[in-house]
Amino acid sequence: MLTLAMYFNHPIFLVTILLLLIFVNISHDRGKDLRKWLPTLSIMSTLIILINPFLVSRGTTILFYFRGKQVTLEAFMYGITMALFIAIILVVFISFNLILNGNRFLYIFSKILPRIALMIMMAIRFVPLMKRRLNEIGDVQRLRGMSMTVGDFKTRVRNGMLRVQILLTWSLEEAIHVTNSMKARGYGTEGKKSSYTLYFMDKRDWVWLFILAGLMMLCFYGGRLGYGQMIIYPELGPWQFFWIDWIVFCSMFIITSFPLFIEGREKIRWKLSI
Amino acid sequence: MARARVSLIASIIVFILLIVMYAVFNYHNYLLLSLGIIGCVMMLFFIRFEMKSIKTREIVILALLIAIAAVARVPFAGLPSVQPTSFVIITVGLVFGAESGFLVGALAAIVSNMFLGQGPWTPWQMFAWGTMGMSAGLLRHFIGVGNLWILNSFGFVWGFIFGWMMNLWIVFSNMHNFTWEFLVGIYVSSFYHDLAHAISNVIFISLFSVRWIRILNRFKKKHGLLEDPTIKPSIAYEKAGK
Repeated sequence: MLTLAMYFNHPIFLVTILLLLIFVNISHDRGKDLRKWLPTLSIMSTLIILINPFLVSRGTTILFYFRGKQVTLEAFMYGITMALFIAIILVVFISFNLILNGNRFLYIFSKILPRIALMIMMAIRFVPLMKRRLNEIGDVQRLRGMSMTVGDFKTRVRNGMLRVQILLTWSLEEAIHVTNSMKARGYGTEGKKSSYTLYFMDKRDWVWLFILAGLMMLCFYGGRLGYGQMIIYPELGPWQFFWIDWIVFCSMFIITSFPLFIEGREKIRWKLSI
Repeated sequence: MARARVSLIASIIVFILLIVMYAVFNYHNYLLLSLGIIGCVMMLFFIRFEMKSIKTREIVILALLIAIAAVARVPFAGLPSVQPTSFVIITVGLVFGAESGFLVGALAAIVSNMFLGQGPWTPWQMFAWGTMGMSAGLLRHFIGVGNLWILNSFGFVWGFIFGWMMNLWIVFSNMHNFTWEFLVGIYVSSFYHDLAHAISNVIFISLFSVRWIRILNRFKKKHGLLEDPTIKPSIAYEKAGK
């Protein structure tokens, strides 16, 4: 999807992708995470749209002059596509964060880099533990009158780092305990190990993968030939679609809305079965 | 082992393909291209780690250090643009060597972003922190860890290099309307942030590096962790350790 968004710069394409992605996001968690990001997203987009025409003076259709520099329609359009593009990237990553939870992460990475994946998973598990310990250490420090919130800069930094240092000495020994426990359960022994996986590819998945890959190729090919793109510099190109544009548009639409389609089908089945 | 070799070959092939794609097909998607190249480079380090024989406890210690590096910014939430993650990574590189430094740096970026949000900046962050840890490990071989002046200037310089590397992702994602003014603008606007990073590195190193290095060194000696293979024959040691 990211690649698609980078390939096309026609505003209609980008707006469609963005809307579909927002719907996909809402289908994950009813847009809870999206709402958190919304202020950043909108501020960034408006800034880009407003700033670009004033910085870049390429283009031929001059709207007005600002302090002797020409402000062009083309630069304005470019700002809009830029903003849409960045919004798309952010929304994709919000979805990505929601979907890729620990289990799936481990599953994907353990295929290629088993040891690294194990380390990442362990570190992710340690983080909440460390946070709890930091709070405990902070409570003790507060009783002893060492504070992070009052005092001059240097003492605050020193107290904060002391907290981390106590955490380090506290936790290092425990790593050895963890190791012993892992050894007791047979980690690192020779021989074949089996592992529990929750996810697997069946025939249906492969078929869909092929279909999606085919559509993707179509999009790439179309994009290479210049369909789905709008000429911005030096002069704003025409808005209309040719029929190949429509084909590219449809395949892009299917790819982007694929998660929605799957989720929606499940929802309907669930509703109907009651 | 075999699997690691397959991924080694795969990443080399992908790297060559990326170069070919750029050179022959005149490919202009710079953000993807740069991410691909960074991924391939980091893959080599990860694969080296996969192929190495290593003790279980070393994996656990590295994981713990990653978690500490990631969580160390929590108490500093009240002090803007002060974060000791770089300090932790440099110290780990100094004590446990270049490879451990790279791993802790790169993976700490992934882990802290798991909680703060991943984005296209993650690979850049991984690369920047990874090379920071790695260069600290290399520094150890040349000058040792005793000299605070050298360590301080090292931390100061890295505060800027880190910021400059992180600026690159913004530059690459806006490569279409690249102008030199744009580049200079980004680097000028990040100056104060980088300066704060550099100064906080210096503060942490001058206040805490001696103690941290002592703590980690003691632990390393006590449990025989991640020792230099030139000092001890690692194979015999390895078997005894397991």
